Amino acid sequence: MSTNPMHQFEVYRIGPEIKVGSLDISFTNASLFMVISSIAILIVFNLGSKKNSIIPNKMQLLAELSYTFVAKMISDTAGSKAKPYFAFIFSIFMFVLFCNMFGMIPYTFTVTSHIIVTFMLASFIFIGVTIIGFIKHGLGYLKLFVPSGVPVVLLPLIVVIEIISYLSRPISLSVRLFANMMAGHTMMKVFGGFVISLGIVGGWLPLSFSVALTGLEILVAFLQAYVFAILTCIYLNDALNLHH
Amino acid sequence: MPKETFKTRLEIAKNKISKKNLPNNRKASSSIGTAFKMSTELVSAVAVGTIIGFILDKTFGTKPWLILIFFFVGVIAGIMNVIKSAKNMQK
Repeated sequence: MSTNPMHQFEVYRIGPEIKVGSLDISFTNASLFMVISSIAILIVFNLGSKKNSIIPNKMQLLAELSYTFVAKMISDTAGSKAKPYFAFIFSIFMFVLFCNMFGMIPYTFTVTSHIIVTFMLASFIFIGVTIIGFIKHGLGYLKLFVPSGVPVVLLPLIVVIEIISYLSRPISLSVRLFANMMAGHTMMKVFGGFVISLGIVGGWLPLSFSVALTGLEILVAFLQAYVFAILTCIYLNDALNLHH
Repeated sequence: MPKETFKTRLEIAKNKISKKNLPNNRKASSSIGTAFKMSTELVSAVAVGTIIGFILDKTFGTKPWLILIFFFVGVIAGIMNVIKSAKNMQK
């Protein structure tokens, strides 16, 4: 096994090479773990919703808890108008959460530690929210860039600033998830390398750090999925209820 | 008969949950979220401003000027982002 801490993020091809024109769409380890986490979500929620007993078993409890958690999050941040988008936000939250959590199992691949994956998710949300905003408010959605009560002299500058801060949304959304996942996993690998190189004499200290880091990383994995979903709700809220 | 008792028991349990200071609990977890949120918001606005300046410079051929201007506009946008989300947090 390689001791290079970045080796774990390597994407390699599984199975035959598939090419469409000059585009390489071969099945990689990244796609494998995306498929695995999607299937895991399907299994958990199918088992959880199969029997509707009044006193739930563990699976049902898990499904119901996550349902109420996301439903509450949406109603708290985006209001009742966002109810139709529950399915979308729920799938985003569950996908990010399962990808993060599968990455915590040793020898697995963390899909969300690649910026292209998180950026695709974030730009999908960004474009979708912008389209929803234009459908709901028409050209009035552009009022988002013109805050009320600003002197006319300052208006050109303010509009430019508002546009930049609007465009920075998908980048801040994707970079946050990617940076947290990659930094955490690299750190764990580095401390793991210390355990090996210090041997049986001095290896106990980094080993205890490693244990603590694993706990922290599980917290971060959950928290980043939560932040990703709650920011989607906030952006949706901006698009549905224009405040400015 | 058992259904009735279940209902009353459910009511009692619900009351118990609402009596516990749940809002306090939720506030703590979501403020970690906002802390994560703010740090990247500042940086990403600067990055977007610089990228826009770079692209505009390339198209108009005004090499150093637009990238400088848009860098500082990006900084302002980032600070305004942080102020905005801090205001949201106080609500």
